[in-house]
Amino acid sequence: MRAPRIHRGGLALAQVCVCVCAVAGASPAWAARAGQKGKTSDKSADKAAAPEAAGLPAAEIDSLRQALIGADDEAATEAAAKLGAAGTPRAAEPLLEVLAEGGRAVRVQAVLDAFAKLGEARALRADQAVIDALTLYAGHRSPDIRRRAVKALASLPEPHVTATLLERLGDAAPDVRAAAADSLAARHETKAVPRLFALLSRGDAGVGAALAALATPDLVPRIAELAGTIDDEIVANTLGEYVKRSDVPEKLRIDVLRTIGRLSGAVATTALAEYLASVPAKEDRASKKEAQKLLDQRGGGTQ
Amino acid sequence: MKRAMTRARMTVIAALAMAGCAPSPYQRAGNGDDVAAAVSRSRPPETGARSLAFLVLGGAAGPRLAAYDLKASRVLWTQPADVTVRVASGASVLVHGSKAVPPASPNGQIVGRDLGSGAVLWQHPIASSEELFGYALDGDQVYVVERVATGDGKRAGRLTALDGRTGARRWEQALPSARVAAPAARGGLVAVPAESQYVLLYDGATGAPVGQVLSTEEAATFVRALPEGLFYGSRGVFLMGRDTARGSRRSPGYLTAHLPAFVRPTYDYDFYRPEQTEYSAIDRNRVLWRVTLDGGRPQFRDGLAFVHDYRFFFAFDAASGVLRWAYASPTDAVASADTGKVILFATVAGELAALDPLTGARVYEASLPGEVVRGASFDAEGFTPSAAVAQAAHPPEVTATLTGIIADPDQRFPALKLFAVEELGRQSGRSVTTKLLELLTDPKTAPLAQQKAGEMLVGRRDAGALDLYRSALRAHADYCEKRSPPPVEVLARAIGALGPIGRSVTPDLEAHLALPETPPAAAAEIARALVQTGATDSPGALRDFLSMYRSDPVYDRDPAALIAASEALLRLGGTEDRELLLFVAEEPHTVAGLRTHLTRALNETAPAQHQRP
Repeated sequence: MRAPRIHRGGLALAQVCVCVCAVAGASPAWAARAGQKGKTSDKSADKAAAPEAAGLPAAEIDSLRQALIGADDEAATEAAAKLGAAGTPRAAEPLLEVLAEGGRAVRVQAVLDAFAKLGEARALRADQAVIDALTLYAGHRSPDIRRRAVKALASLPEPHVTATLLERLGDAAPDVRAAAADSLAARHETKAVPRLFALLSRGDAGVGAALAALATPDLVPRIAELAGTIDDEIVANTLGEYVKRSDVPEKLRIDVLRTIGRLSGAVATTALAEYLASVPAKEDRASKKEAQKLLDQRGGGTQ
Repeated sequence: MKRAMTRARMTVIAALAMAGCAPSPYQRAGNGDDVAAAVSRSRPPETGARSLAFLVLGGAAGPRLAAYDLKASRVLWTQPADVTVRVASGASVLVHGSKAVPPASPNGQIVGRDLGSGAVLWQHPIASSEELFGYALDGDQVYVVERVATGDGKRAGRLTALDGRTGARRWEQALPSARVAAPAARGGLVAVPAESQYVLLYDGATGAPVGQVLSTEEAATFVRALPEGLFYGSRGVFLMGRDTARGSRRSPGYLTAHLPAFVRPTYDYDFYRPEQTEYSAIDRNRVLWRVTLDGGRPQFRDGLAFVHDYRFFFAFDAASGVLRWAYASPTDAVASADTGKVILFATVAGELAALDPLTGARVYEASLPGEVVRGASFDAEGFTPSAAVAQAAHPPEVTATLTGIIADPDQRFPALKLFAVEELGRQSGRSVTTKLLELLTDPKTAPLAQQKAGEMLVGRRDAGALDLYRSALRAHADYCEKRSPPPVEVLARAIGALGPIGRSVTPDLEAHLALPETPPAAAAEIARALVQTGATDSPGALRDFLSMYRSDPVYDRDPAALIAASEALLRLGGTEDRELLLFVAEEPHTVAGLRTHLTRALNETAPAQHQRP
């Protein structure tokens, strides 16, 4: 992965510096740059955010920007939260400034969370500068910052952020891997399956749910075969998540439930119970009966 | 006549010394005439056609001594024996120390055996009042040095001559000191070290003193009889003669080899220490040497000195220390000898082998299957391997041997492994660079060896390895693929050392500034390498790094990486980068060390010098 350039040619950062130092009335350096160079792929973001944007006046955004770059960390954190909740693409601008100039961890964390919120609200333009900044911080030495950057990146629908998410599956920190895995599962990114399976094979509990969400039927026996090589509970949890999927054929579901039934530990019992709970009470499924039978055999019957 | 008078004088001095009225028993120490006369009387031993190895065996069959004929590749005889002190062989007998059952001889005994059959000829118990320092054979005469308790509660050194066939005492000579060491004997002359700095010479036939050597600059901890002469020394070798009668390192008869740091630079064991006369680790870790005489001046034979280090053998150019060859044995070699024609050794697994001194090629091999060899002594001055085998033997490949040493899981040789890494780095070729890179990434490589491999990689300045560096840099750490981070710090130094030639790989290098696993020290080296290579395309990566971490508390204590990045930006960047640096210097959240540095650096550099757009 090549390092992204937040400060292309240095000009943008120089302008940001001017913004920071001159404080009031600073020119919208990043907005100008993003407008000139950035590519907005999610046109719907503007439309979706438009009503809320109208509710956050420019003066308020400027005020939040001042707080964001001011000396008070607490005020900056609050400002970031407000901008994240603003639901307007224009809120990204001052947030991006913080990432561009760099700052203390608490501030950067708040800004990344704000980006994630904007993204989840579909109020974040997939501006190249934003993607570059988030990608850069996804490689920060602090695992917590990486995890937050991954979540923020994942909130962007841009297909090319997938590469960074896939890369973060190889992160040394379990929390970062889990965040990347969940994000990829949410994006239905099947390219992630081999790496997710590799992680599961290494006993990485944090990727089980993501793998269960993306796994194809042919992968299920391979997951089951991991029993005994990694913690049975991880296998049980993964298979338990898998059987809850609505697209799983009933026959396969019964097989998987039986596999879970053969696994040791409380997680296997929980997986069976959770499956039972996930099936509507009135629905009569063979797999439901099988799960109940397996639970009874384990001494954990609910009837 | 003169010789007779000298001997008489020496005898009188010794006698007076014993009587306690002589000023010093070493008054003639360093007398070149005495020593030259004594040495000239010493006739070179018959080299003959001996090709014998005496093997001290253990294992399930119990402790035994075997004689093996190297030329015939067969065991001549095996006898039950619990051998302690090393085997020494004479014309028709051999002698060794062995344990004996107390209280008869609590200090063990010397055993004489028939060379042809191994049968015990005699046993010489060491009494509780005696301490054996060692023995030497000359023909079938055995010379024993002991320290004995005297009647007045003191102790004294004693040299005794025994008949090798019968064990009968021929003569006995009181030594002038209790601080004595094991002897050597050659052609009718017996040499006994004393007081660490003297070597006392005695007539082998009568025990009469005939000369005294004084070593003035280094201890004389050993004496050694070889066909080419009588030697003494410790960290160097003196050929005994007129010019070394008063031995100094400036003497023409003095030799020392240039050897690497891992070698214990002693040219024989310490004869003052009785425990070193026994088969032990001393036999597995030693310098092997022989000399040739050029106009009476000694030189290491073929200019080489050899090092036996447990499983490994090395030949070094004695003058320069350059490694000539390296040989690795699968198992420990318990004993070795330089016969002049070959380097002989025996392994613990019962393998007997010979190496060509010039090439290291394995020119002889034999084995005793199922045997455990505890120690060995050789009497093989006449042994020459089969010419056909010798010609067909291939010299060991140095790089492969060094690589094997480095990769060896045996943890006993940390210093040797460092040497191997260093030597490997000195070898030429792309495969060596590849190997050094492998060492840097192999988790099994010891930290010190990794450090040395890094130093060698940087020092090679291998411009032909840029593609290797690129590949290594692109193999980013990946938990999923169980891949560790590449040795970025070393690679940065190696690339930086290439100067502008290394610029083609700087994009791959700078990418590591944005990776979480890149430690601060590596980031600093990357920044320096970017400057060294003149990577004017890299300011973007430097800016990102600087902005992202300028207020990171990790750099509060050691801002070196940030300083290096800012320095690089100052050198490689343009006006806008200077503006960034000004901002970083003034922004209060920037770590203090960086602010201080940048304030000074920006003041010291005139803005007019930064004309890059």
